Amino acid sequence: MFAGLSQAEAGGRLNVYINSTGAFLPGPAVTNDEMEDILGLVDGKKSRLRRRILKANGIETRHYAINKDHETLYSASELGALAGKNCLEKSALSLEQVKMLSCATTQGDMVIPGFGSMVQAELGMSGIELHTTHGVCTCSSMAIKAAYNNIRVGDQPNALVVVSELASRLFKNTRYEAAGSSKAIDFNAEFLRWMLSDGAGAMLLEAKPRGRCLRIDWIRSFSHADAYPVCMGIGATADAAEQRTWQDFATYAEAEAHGALLIRQDVRLLENIVKLGVDGALRLIEEGVLEIDKIDHLLCHYSSHHFKSLIYDMLDMAGARIPEEKWYSNLYTRGNTGSASILIMLDEFLSLGKADLGDTIVCMVPESGRFNTAYIQLTVVHEDRKAENNA
Amino acid sequence: MREVVELERPEVLTDIGQETLRRLLRVWFDFERRLAKVPIVRRLDLGQFDLNDYQSLLLNLRPQVVEGARWIARCASSFDREHADVRSVIIGHAQEEHRDYEVLESDYVASGGQLDAIQAQARNPGSEALHCFLMYRASQPNPVDLLGAMWIIEGLGNKMANDWAARIAELVPGADKFTRFMRYHGENDDAHMDKLYGLIDRICVDQNAGDRVIRTAKVVGRLYAMQLEEIDHAE
Repeated sequence: MFAGLSQAEAGGRLNVYINSTGAFLPGPAVTNDEMEDILGLVDGKKSRLRRRILKANGIETRHYAINKDHETLYSASELGALAGKNCLEKSALSLEQVKMLSCATTQGDMVIPGFGSMVQAELGMSGIELHTTHGVCTCSSMAIKAAYNNIRVGDQPNALVVVSELASRLFKNTRYEAAGSSKAIDFNAEFLRWMLSDGAGAMLLEAKPRGRCLRIDWIRSFSHADAYPVCMGIGATADAAEQRTWQDFATYAEAEAHGALLIRQDVRLLENIVKLGVDGALRLIEEGVLEIDKIDHLLCHYSSHHFKSLIYDMLDMAGARIPEEKWYSNLYTRGNTGSASILIMLDEFLSLGKADLGDTIVCMVPESGRFNTAYIQLTVVHEDRKAENNA
Repeated sequence: MREVVELERPEVLTDIGQETLRRLLRVWFDFERRLAKVPIVRRLDLGQFDLNDYQSLLLNLRPQVVEGARWIARCASSFDREHADVRSVIIGHAQEEHRDYEVLESDYVASGGQLDAIQAQARNPGSEALHCFLMYRASQPNPVDLLGAMWIIEGLGNKMANDWAARIAELVPGADKFTRFMRYHGENDDAHMDKLYGLIDRICVDQNAGDRVIRTAKVVGRLYAMQLEEIDHAE
């Protein structure tokens, strides 16, 4: 057991605290008008959908790890390592004291090995316990939960969570041209080009609270992949009748020519995230786990501003209204960085000093990949107030 | 003399009404997920739905739509004078819907189907189970639990109007001319849903009433999904 704590003290399980957070966003903020200069013109033509999609998602600036010449300035693992370093610089721990690394990404630099191995090597951490999750926006919640549970049962005293996304590489004009040029690009294939961008977030979890920090109250998720087709993915063609996925083609070139390597969003299915996001919240209310009136801050990772009002209205209709002033998101200035968003959001939110001691923060991540929704509840505590810490 | 309809959508529901509404929403979301797995609905989602599917859908919906007016009318007549306000709402509802099947039939004919074929179509096993359950419940004194049935069936009417009709029109050439039944539902359903909200507070006066409404909503959702599943089991 670690100094000063026993499992019995916490009712058989240890409390887990987020003692530091960090983020890294590459390069300068890119405005809406600069996006196409960097991503490139498909067949030399300006996109006809860009303005419409940007208007719906409400994003004004974002960051890219690639430049106009399509050189990658930071790899996904470098982005992650820089966020991890940023987090540790603000913490009481040195890199050598960290015992576990839990990583998440939608798509790392290499297909194999796991993303965590690449981040570990980049950070130069020795002999740690390693965990990698992969998925879409909720894979970060899975990585946090694995770290949280590992500390909770006493296997490790701490864990660094690193989540990184580098989507811009998928959006180079050359990718679309290789998949059949502008004629073959439908709305679903272009939708995410104007939505996703790059960035990484990190958090340090410990069994011991330090100064003012966040206690993790619970982490829960509900997946509905059985009910709906894939809503966002890479690997299948646009033709629903085509059974082959990218590795089933004779060559990767053939897969690319069939559009199987483009990232697609089935926009028609997308609105299901609203209902499923609310459904999960209602389940947690029914279980008595979530108390709407006690939420002081809601950090909701909606992919588009368009969805914010829909989620708000549906919660309102269910009698679970969360007043507008309690909502926080930095989607508009930091962009949608997929699974990294919720960590980048939490990091910036805490830096604003809006959360008071005792406040309850709920993070909500409705993911469209194949419809998983994740929820995290945190309480702002202080190490000197022991009774409250163990609530 | 026509009774005055007194129930309106309340601004704020009672605690038990609000709790029941939350549970009804959960039942609805669960029903929608169940529905999404039904083969004919999955084909619609995946864009593999054709005219044949649409005609099968209408053929299999008609018996239930015809019977729909009957169970609602019977439900209304099973409310005693203590529930006259509830009865008024339900009578109005039954009156609005009791000839919907004619629109459905004309859609079927416009899509190239034969009128005598759709009129001769028997209930499939799912429709049979749904019909029998609804008629049985509607015959009980003060069948307040049927609010749960209306919640599912009206909700589905909304879904057809707002979601299915446009999708079918995309996938089946000319279908914008023969999806009138589904679209028409949407025009009235907002008003219908408002009336249902009004009924929630009126009916869910205690936990027991709320529980009964939820149970019936679940049963109707299951049987409705079965009715649509049976389309792919036709012999």
